[in-house]
Amino acid sequence: MPSATASVPPPTRTAATRNLGLLAIAGSVVLALLGLIFTAEDVDQGSSVRIMYVHVPTAWVAYLAFVFTAVCSAGHLWGKKHSLNLDRLAGASAEVGVIFMGVTLVTGSLWGRLSWGTYWQWDPRLTTTAFLFVTYIGYLAVRGLGGTQRQRAKRSAIVALFAVLEIPLVHFSVVIWRSLHQQATVLRPNGDVTMDGLMLFSLIFGVAVFTTIFAWLVLHRNRVLAMEDAMELRGIDTALAARRSEEVSS
Amino acid sequence: MDLSPRQPTVGPAESSRPKSSRRRWISMGILAAAIVAGGVVVTQFLSSAIDYYCNVDEVGVRDGCESDRRLRVQGTVEQGSIKQAAGTTTFEMSFNAVTLDVRYDGDPGGVFQECIPVVAHGRMVSGVFLSDRIEVKHSNTYVAKNKNRLDEAEEAADACSRVG
Repeated sequence: MPSATASVPPPTRTAATRNLGLLAIAGSVVLALLGLIFTAEDVDQGSSVRIMYVHVPTAWVAYLAFVFTAVCSAGHLWGKKHSLNLDRLAGASAEVGVIFMGVTLVTGSLWGRLSWGTYWQWDPRLTTTAFLFVTYIGYLAVRGLGGTQRQRAKRSAIVALFAVLEIPLVHFSVVIWRSLHQQATVLRPNGDVTMDGLMLFSLIFGVAVFTTIFAWLVLHRNRVLAMEDAMELRGIDTALAARRSEEVSS
Repeated sequence: MDLSPRQPTVGPAESSRPKSSRRRWISMGILAAAIVAGGVVVTQFLSSAIDYYCNVDEVGVRDGCESDRRLRVQGTVEQGSIKQAAGTTTFEMSFNAVTLDVRYDGDPGGVFQECIPVVAHGRMVSGVFLSDRIEVKHSNTYVAKNKNRLDEAEEAADACSRVG
C-alpha cells in the first residue's frame, strides 16, 4: 500500500535508541526504588533528602547539556563543513537541558520548603541558577527568530558560547558569596565526599540514569529537527519549482 | 521571473509561510520576556544575593550589618537554648564565640533544631533580634538515619554543646 506508507512520516527510532529508551526506563525504576525504599533517611533532613536523587542529577545533566550545546556550537562555527547537524544537536541538547534545569528549580524549591522553611530566596545559588535557566530560554528563542538555517546556526552558536560561561559562576556561587544553599558535597575541591555509601551510590546512579534519558531525548529530538529542516527546504524547492513552471507557461 | 510575495493558498509550500512567521513572533515574544526576566534576576542578585547574610559577630560591626536596619543574621542555634511559650520561640544563636538572643513569633518548623546553622530575618530591638523569618541552613554532610548513626549524632550534639 504505497499511498498509505507515503503519508506516514518516518519514525525517529532505531534499534539503538529503542534499547537506550528501555535502559532509561529500567534505570528510572531502579532509581525510584533506591531513592524511595532502599536508602535511609538523613539524620537532620529526614525523608526530604530523597529529593536529592532527582534534584542533583538533573542539575548536573543540565550543566552537561549546556556544555554539549557549546561544544556542538563551537564545532559548527569553526568546523570546516559548518555542519548543520551539529547546530541541530546543540539546539536539541539545550531544549532537554532547559527541561532538566526546570526540574532542578522545582525540586529545589520543594526541598527548600522542607529543609530551609521557604520555597525561594534570592540567594547566590538560586539566583544564578534562575539566570542560567532564563538565559537558555533566551537561547531557544534566538533559534526561532527566522532567517536561513545557516543564519540560525551562526547566531545561536555565538549565544551558546557566551551562555556556557555562566555554569562555573553557578557552581562556585556558594563559595564566592555567602549562600543559604549548602556548599558542594561531592564535587569538592579537596575531593572529600561527605555522604553515606548507599546515598552516594544512588546519587551517582541517578546521574547515570538522567544522562541516559538525556541522550535518548536528544537523539530523538535531533532527528525531529532534521526532518523539520528538510521540510523547510523542500517547501522552498516546491515554491521555486511552482514559480518556474508558471513562468514557462506564461 | 516574478518573485513578489504571494497570498497563502492551500499548497504545502505556501501554507508553511504564515506558520513560520507566527513562530518568529512567538520567539521574539519569548526572547523579550527572557530579557525582562533576566533583568529582574540580575537586579535581585545585586540587591539581595551578594552578602546574603551577616554573621552574628558582624552585627553592628561590619559595613552593611548596622544594627538599626533590617538584617539577615547567620549563626548556630545554641544547645539547650530553644524555648517555646505562648506561640513564641526564643533561642540563642552564636558565631565566632559571639551570642545573640533571638525571638521569633511562631514555630520555625522544618528541620529547625539545636546545633544547626540558621539565617534569621528581622531587626535588633533592645539587644534582642526580633525575627519574622527563620531559614535553616543545613550542612553539606549527609548521614543515614539508623541506630548506630543516631548514637553518633547524639555524640555530635554533645560535642556541639561543649564547643558552644
